Formats: sequence, C-alpha cells, structure tokens
Amino acid sequence: MKILASGESVYHWVHPDDFREWVRLHKSREATDKLMTEHEAVSRCVADGDYLAYDFSSLTRGPQALVREIIRQRRRHLWICAEFTLHESALLVGAGCADRIDVGFLGYGEYIGQAVVEGKVRVFEWTNGALAARMLAGARGLPFMPMRNLVGTDTFVRSGAKVVADPFSANPVCLVPSLHPDVFLVHVHQADISGNARIFGTNLFALEAAMASKKVIVSAEEIVDPLEFRKEPAKTTIPHFLVSAVVHLPFGAYPGGVPGRYELDLEQIQQLNAMETEEQVQAYLEAFVYSVRSHAELLEQKVGWGRLADMIRRGSIKEGYA
Amino acid sequence: MESPPRFTETECMICLAARLLEDRKTVFVGWGIPQVVAMLAERLYTPNLTQVFEFGAIGPRSLTPFVRGTMGGPSNVYRSLQWTTMNWAFAYAATGYLDYGMIGALQVDPYGNVNSTLLGGSYDRPKRRFPGSGGGNEVASLCWKTIVVLKHEPRRFVEQLDFMTSPGYLTGPGAREAAGLPRGTGPYRVVTSQALFGFDDETRHMQLLGVLRGLSAGQVTHGMGFAPLVTEKVEVLEPPTREELVVLREAIDPSRMIIGRDAG
Repeated sequence: MKILASGESVYHWVHPDDFREWVRLHKSREATDKLMTEHEAVSRCVADGDYLAYDFSSLTRGPQALVREIIRQRRRHLWICAEFTLHESALLVGAGCADRIDVGFLGYGEYIGQAVVEGKVRVFEWTNGALAARMLAGARGLPFMPMRNLVGTDTFVRSGAKVVADPFSANPVCLVPSLHPDVFLVHVHQADISGNARIFGTNLFALEAAMASKKVIVSAEEIVDPLEFRKEPAKTTIPHFLVSAVVHLPFGAYPGGVPGRYELDLEQIQQLNAMETEEQVQAYLEAFVYSVRSHAELLEQKVGWGRLADMIRRGSIKEGYA
Repeated sequence: MESPPRFTETECMICLAARLLEDRKTVFVGWGIPQVVAMLAERLYTPNLTQVFEFGAIGPRSLTPFVRGTMGGPSNVYRSLQWTTMNWAFAYAATGYLDYGMIGALQVDPYGNVNSTLLGGSYDRPKRRFPGSGGGNEVASLCWKTIVVLKHEPRRFVEQLDFMTSPGYLTGPGAREAAGLPRGTGPYRVVTSQALFGFDDETRHMQLLGVLRGLSAGQVTHGMGFAPLVTEKVEVLEPPTREELVVLREAIDPSRMIIGRDAG
C-alpha cells in the first residue's frame, strides 16, 4: 500500500503479537475472586507513565472514584485518552498526574485550555470516532483500522494517522493505529467478584477497551451473584477474563450520576466547571481528594447522606436500566 | 395589533436552525446548541425525525427541560429506539444512513471548513485552546448534509482558519472526494441569528441565502473576513415566532441557561 500522507504526531501503539503475549501471560482465564479496595486496585494496576482510558463520561457513569484514587496515589506522567472528558483532565493535570492527552474532546473550560497554552500538558489531535476506531482495532487484534474521515484536515496533520491508497477501491483511505491502553477504568451498574460486568444504557467502547487494555479495573455500584450473569447472558457487557480488579464502589461516579440509580450532584459539578485558576484546582483537590483516605471517607465526611439521598431521589428515570 | 415578540440572539439562532431540519429523516446531533435545536424541531416541525447521538443513543425522545452538559444522562436519551456504542453510532454515518449532521463552530471559512480546536498563536502555543473535534470531524465528513450553527459574529467568518478541525469543501470543487471523503457529502447550510448561507454548486463557495427580517445583505455580511456570494433573490427569514419562543422558554430551557434573558 502506498502511503499518501502521514500525520506528524507520536502515538501509543503495541504490536498485536506483543499484546497477545501479554494476554497469554498476564490475563487469567480463571474466574478468581478479584474483589479489592480501590487503593489496592490502583496500587496493583496503575504505574507511572501508563496510558489510561475510561468510560463513559465525567457526568454519567464515569469512574470518578478510581480517578481520585489515582490522584491520591500521585501517579506521574500518565497519558490519557480523553473522549467524554470534562473535569478529569483538569484534575489529573492539576495534580501533576497526567502530562499527555489524546483528544477526542478536551474538556473543559479555562483551566485545561490554559494548561495547553502554557505547555503544562501535551495534546495530540484525534477525533472521538478515531479513538473509538483505534480501540476497536486493538480489540480485534489488528494493527490498524481504516476509516473514511479525518482526511483533508489539520486534525489529521496533528494526529498519528496515515492516508494510503486503498488496494480495493484505489481511493485514499485513512488508517489509524490500534490502541492498547495500559489501563482501562470502567464504572458499571453490576459486577460479580470475578469481573463479569453489566452496563445498562449506552457506552463509548467498554467492551472494546476492556479487550484491548493490558489491565482493567471495574468499579461497580453493586456486586451480584455470578449466577445472575448466566441467567441473562445477553446482558453481560464484559466477561471476567478481561478484568484485572473489581472494586465495590457505590456512588463511584460521584459527583456524576449513574443512569437508573442516581442523578449528579449539581452543586459539586458547578464548582468543578467553574474552576479556572491553579488555586481553585488545588483547593478542590485538597478538599475532596487528598484530605480523605478513601471513597467511603469522601462520602461519609464530605458529601453526606442527605446529598446522596437527594441524588437517588432525583434519579427517577428507571426505564431501560435493568 | 400585538407588538412582535422580543428575543435573544441565541433564541433566534436556535429557531432559524430548527426550521432547516426535515421530518422523517435522520440527523446526527452534536453536543450543546444542536441538541436544543433538535428538541425544538422535534416538538414543532419534525416529530418523526430520528436523532443520533455519538455515544450510541439512536432515536432518543429527549425530555424537557433540557439538561445541559450530560448528553448521555437519562433525560437526554429517554425512550430511544436503540442504545448502542460509539463505533456503531459513527458506523450509521459512515454507511450513509444519516441525512443531516449538525455541529457548532468557533470559525468557518468560505468553503464551510470548521475550526473548533484553537484560536491565535501557533499549534504548539495557541492563544486559546478549545475542546477540538469531539465527534465533529465524523459528523462533517460522513453525514450527507452538514449544518453548522454559530453565533453571528463577523470575526468568526474568516478567509483562513486558525486550524481546520472538520472538513467543509476543503479547497473547492472535487477536493473532498480527492481527499477520500465519501462522495456527495458536504456542508449544506451555515446558520446564525441573522443569516442563512448555503454553498454554490459550481464553486462550492459560501453563498448568502437569507437574512433576518429588517436586515440587509450588506448589514449581515459587514465585517466578515471574506465576501460570500449572494444569491439572486435573498430570502427574508422570519424572526422567532411566539410559538417557538414559548416552547423554548417554557418547555426546553425554563432556567434560560442556554437561551439567555436579555429579551425580558
């Protein structure tokens, strides 16, 4: 295939055979008990310099408790895949944890925009669809995925994609490299102790990313009996042999919501959205991340039952989420 | 006779955009203002329009009031036809099932190319950095007809974009196909609170099609960074109707977070 144009950006890439070998050696096929605390899961699975992806969004079923634990453990030089990211980028960059971001969608507001302008964080251009296609290539064990868009734009020029002459149609077609994150974080409605997991509602690429990632941390609103999955197998989003760790984290998407369970904490979200300065970000991190030892402590000491009950009360739409 | 209703710029932009959608078709809806446009259109003009959200909500019947920010929350994806994932949502666009796409923009150029990434400076050191493509590049590349909705600020219409995030007609006729984009796709309308633009079939250059009642072609194009073509018979665009404003203010955005308050 003739390469017609190459994007100039660096990109995270793992040879498909190297990934297969990782799976063979490190991902257990046995349905063992993987239940652990968020401290233990992040200690075991997230290392400095890792490439990190997550699902779904900052406001809806995001793995927010796991992100806060990563910040609490002060991981460094993370490279994050930002799709439906609003405030995680600001928190991870503000805490000094992340210094590279694949976008996607660079959320959100003054602080993160200014961090890019000041060179505190490097940004690599992709699109939401391109990152999803990269994840799909990873999940299919392929080195790349062809796609029809990205071509013709500056987004392409600043990406790591290539344009080639398609050997079938002879037209130009874009190729994006497969993506194999080191770690994928996903917050789900239900999981069992081995990592079988159910998401109710839409997701970005939960199955693709769980397949394509070296390590997968599932946090769950609810831990259910493994037999539940065998009773209704069509509802399984992620099977256990893709998963490294399971953490039981009720309200794990806080301050976001989980569809069918609870709505977001509007006051807290507004505070996050309004963060513009370094001082505001550091104050938020101190108040809601560093000053507590765990997610349970955050809920008990900083949020309180009254607010959680109100979030449950407002989460009145249940249709489709069971 | 009753005096005509007062309205904000944002309300006018939303109403003019809502009138462009077609019933019994499909539309890929971008985050933010396009959601409000689609909600208004669905309630008044296009009850059988199938909306598609990029994370896999197909045919949602979004509830009012509109909940900003959380596009994937339960009230925005209420009673969809299908809940799937991002790769499948974009696959519907890539295979030609999506008639319209609607996105916002920071800047637009004469060929309908769109910037939503940065303003000023260089790529490595921009003056201001914005979210980037999101799914905008997919929408503008893969849907049959793309509608760009933006504020009526002449400085947003530039000869040369600071960054081309999403493709319009690129450099002119034939350029999309030559780059590898699907045949027969491209920008269809650019709509603001004061003007409606299309694209000349031959040159693919932006062309003024309509102006808000009470304004002239010269007034709406004054200060733009390029001179758009002007169609022979420029259409008069009616301002927001009472009915549109009632739906916007009472059902969709009673807190007026999106539409603003200056109309009183």
